[in-house]
Amino acid sequence: MLKGTLDLLILRTIELQPRHGLAVSERIAQITRGTFVVKPGSLFPALHRLEQEGYIAGAWGESAQGRRAKVYDITPAGRKRLAAERKSWDRIVTAVGQVLDPT
Amino acid sequence: MPLGARMRSAWRTITRQRALDADLDAELRAAVDELAAAHRAAGLRPAEARRRALLDLGGTEQVKEQVRDARVGAPALTLLRDIALAWRGLRKAPAFTFAAVVTLAIGVGANTATFSLVNAVLLQPLPYHAGDRLVFVWSDMTAAGYPRGPLSGPELADLRGQATRFEGFGAIWATTTALTGDNDPQQLRIGLVTANFFSLLGAGAALGRTFVDEDEPTAGPTTILLSDGLWRTRYGADPAIIGRRVLVNDQPTTVIGVMPPGFRLLMPPDSNVPEQLEAWQPFNRNMTRGPRGQMFLRVVGRMRDGVTVDEAARDVATVAADIGARYAEYGSAGRRFSTVGLHDDGVRDLRPALFVLQGGVAVLLLIACVNVAGLLVARAAGRSRETALRLALGAGRHRLISQCLAEGLVLAGLGAAAGLTTGGILLRLLAAARPASLDRIADVGLDPTVLAFTAATALAVALAFSFAPLAEMVRTNLLGLLHQGGRSLGSAFHHRVRRALVVLQVAMGVVLLVGAGLLVRTFANLTTVQPGFEPGGVLTFRLGLPGNRYRTQESLDAFARELERRLASLPGVAHAGAISHLPFDNIPNWSTTYLTEAGGDESRARRADSRAVSPGAFQAIGARIVEGRDFTEDDDKDGELVAIVDERLARLAWPGASAIGQRLATDPRVTGRPTVWVKVVGVVRHLRHLTLLEDVREQVYFPVRQAHRNPMAWMVRATGDPASLSGPIRTAVAALDPQLPVFDVRPLSDYVVGARAIQRFTMLLAAVFAGLALLLASVGVYGVIQYGVTRRQPELALRVALGAGRGSVVRLVVGEGLRLALAGLALGLAAALVAVPAMGSQLYGVTPRDPISYIVAMPVLAAVALAASAMPAWRAARINPADGLRAE
Repeated sequence: MLKGTLDLLILRTIELQPRHGLAVSERIAQITRGTFVVKPGSLFPALHRLEQEGYIAGAWGESAQGRRAKVYDITPAGRKRLAAERKSWDRIVTAVGQVLDPT
Repeated sequence: MPLGARMRSAWRTITRQRALDADLDAELRAAVDELAAAHRAAGLRPAEARRRALLDLGGTEQVKEQVRDARVGAPALTLLRDIALAWRGLRKAPAFTFAAVVTLAIGVGANTATFSLVNAVLLQPLPYHAGDRLVFVWSDMTAAGYPRGPLSGPELADLRGQATRFEGFGAIWATTTALTGDNDPQQLRIGLVTANFFSLLGAGAALGRTFVDEDEPTAGPTTILLSDGLWRTRYGADPAIIGRRVLVNDQPTTVIGVMPPGFRLLMPPDSNVPEQLEAWQPFNRNMTRGPRGQMFLRVVGRMRDGVTVDEAARDVATVAADIGARYAEYGSAGRRFSTVGLHDDGVRDLRPALFVLQGGVAVLLLIACVNVAGLLVARAAGRSRETALRLALGAGRHRLISQCLAEGLVLAGLGAAAGLTTGGILLRLLAAARPASLDRIADVGLDPTVLAFTAATALAVALAFSFAPLAEMVRTNLLGLLHQGGRSLGSAFHHRVRRALVVLQVAMGVVLLVGAGLLVRTFANLTTVQPGFEPGGVLTFRLGLPGNRYRTQESLDAFARELERRLASLPGVAHAGAISHLPFDNIPNWSTTYLTEAGGDESRARRADSRAVSPGAFQAIGARIVEGRDFTEDDDKDGELVAIVDERLARLAWPGASAIGQRLATDPRVTGRPTVWVKVVGVVRHLRHLTLLEDVREQVYFPVRQAHRNPMAWMVRATGDPASLSGPIRTAVAALDPQLPVFDVRPLSDYVVGARAIQRFTMLLAAVFAGLALLLASVGVYGVIQYGVTRRQPELALRVALGAGRGSVVRLVVGEGLRLALAGLALGLAAALVAVPAMGSQLYGVTPRDPISYIVAMPVLAAVALAASAMPAWRAARINPADGLRAE
């Protein structure tokens, strides 16, 4: 996975709907049809770092199955960051695309 | 993320660690539950579901570790945790920690204290404005035996007029005068100065002003500048003192200023300008017109900016050569001046002594480093199994090194703190034991830069040693190390290193011991020097007779005769007499050119120190007349002009013949020319009055009734305790003249003690350093022997089990101690032979190869080794064979 991509994926996933840790990785796997499988060993450190950096906020709530879980929601700073990441991602995609298919 | 927010996050990571971890724990537990539920839903049994859930997560502990590492500020947290770990580890090993911290405290403290002193005295510039541009000008009369003499007034004027590399020249002459009128009469030690003297130094007054040219009087001094001390003691620090009239030498004199507290005149010691004078007065304006041969001025020059001392010296030498050729007074010999940096010259006697001390204390620091290194090596050895285990279990090598560093940091912090305290105490002790010539160290403080530097040095050396075994271990075959119980391989290396370190330590201790031994012998030699007089049992004091009340020679003589008679008849007094200079006082020296034949070349004649003595003086001071007679009351203004010379002058002037009855042309009144012919009536044993170390210069003594001096120093030799005479003496003086201040009441022995104060100071310090060095070395020896016993416990137990006597076990252990000490001794003696000659200039009466100082080191070292191995030997002897063997 590209450096920084994980943050982008996590922020985007949470932006759509607040989720707890495992739900985030499940959702990513689901949407990408298994292309990206985020292991807990990468997921939890990333979540905690993003939380410390103030881009997401965790609070104890309930999982879909009604279990107690720590649910993460995006913060305004996180939205800004996501927008920025998105822009730069688009730039990369466009740039790489231009290299692959020069018009 | 902004820096401020990042710092706050890092701070939270560190301070809220527990809460963060608890939260993480709950979160992960919830995740496991979630996963397990999913597996159960898929039909697995609860236990299996849970196992799979844990596998999916990849181990909760591992995830937790990864999360912790990802936190903002995680590296700082790791370091803090290592430090906390080190702190706990050190607390669990109090003996090790205590030994290491005490060692660092001694090494760092002693170095910081000594270097703070050296820095203040030798390295810091003089406390005057641009002090490095100040030079001192000596008159160089080496051929006459006076390489460092004063200048005359006209010569000062010549320098001012002709030397181009200077902003100016000033001069001072220390003398005494009487302060009367508003209070009890008081004799003052004052400096007569040129009006520009203080502005030349760049020293200002705290109150009022210093002198300006208009202050130089044409008839009789009229202004005075007070020291802070005099202002406080006599005038109660009255700020309205400026402009007030006081009576100085019975002359109305205006106070123009007060110098700041702590103002000192740091002139060369042999210029006889005391560091702390009580007041200053300007020279008479026509002082520069006096005779060229009347040399009394201590001349200081300020070089122009950018001029070097060499250039300045050439400039002054040119002036000297010019006036030498121009004026007939200098005859065929001409004139020579030598110019030296004021600071350099002022500390020239102290510099070698301080360097010897600094050298000694640096060795002490080395020993301390080695001791800490040895302790750390021992600690590493004790942990080699643990280290191997941790490596085997996958601990990162950088983690081990970082923990090693953390322990070093903690030790350094403790050592520096302890060193600061020790250094402060040592510095105060140094200040308390200071000789008069080092008076200025009274207010020296610890130098923080030096403290930091020495603490860092000690620790860098120690850490280098503690890393070495760690590096060795990291390279080692772990399996082998674990297999051997983590003992034999790593430890053998450690043990070798430690033994080598201890030998080195003992060797350095021996070097210090030999050095201290030589200084003790030097001091002992100085206390037994025969100075040519008997300093014990004599009380001295000074009297100055005011000129307005004692106008005539007759009145002066009558007073002195009567006082001498009354003093000598006091109960408990054996002899009483007066002399112009006491040995080792700081009154400006008087000297005279002398000729044995009429018409001789005055300019090439030798000079002798000249003194005026009363008839009882030689008996009172305990001098020995070796030929001829002492002075009597008949040697007065009506008698033939006579003199007594010392053996040295007699031998030089009339080799192979008796001096008695010979005639000398001299200058008893310091007029500048030897025009007074005197007959030699006696020869006295040379009196060492400038240095205890050797006979320097010839001496000529005049009867005071024929060569008046005022003030005079009086000496009273007691049959019992001289201190008890001070009351009767004051009464006797007051009975003759109640207005006279009796001052400088001190035993004669005080002056002699002062003459060897530097040597006493050096010796004391060296002895303390050597003692500390031996203490550290014996701790080192103890540590290594003790460790050896622990290491060899199975072997010793086996020996005992097989029937070896306790005695042989003790011999084995003590033998090990002795072997180490012997190796250290041999190495140390060899090193001392090479290193100790560097302190040759500090020795008196012993050579740097003095066998006694070396031989003494042997029993001392043997005692150290025995003391250090006694405890381990006792423990070894009590080994229970069963326990010892089981320990394997």
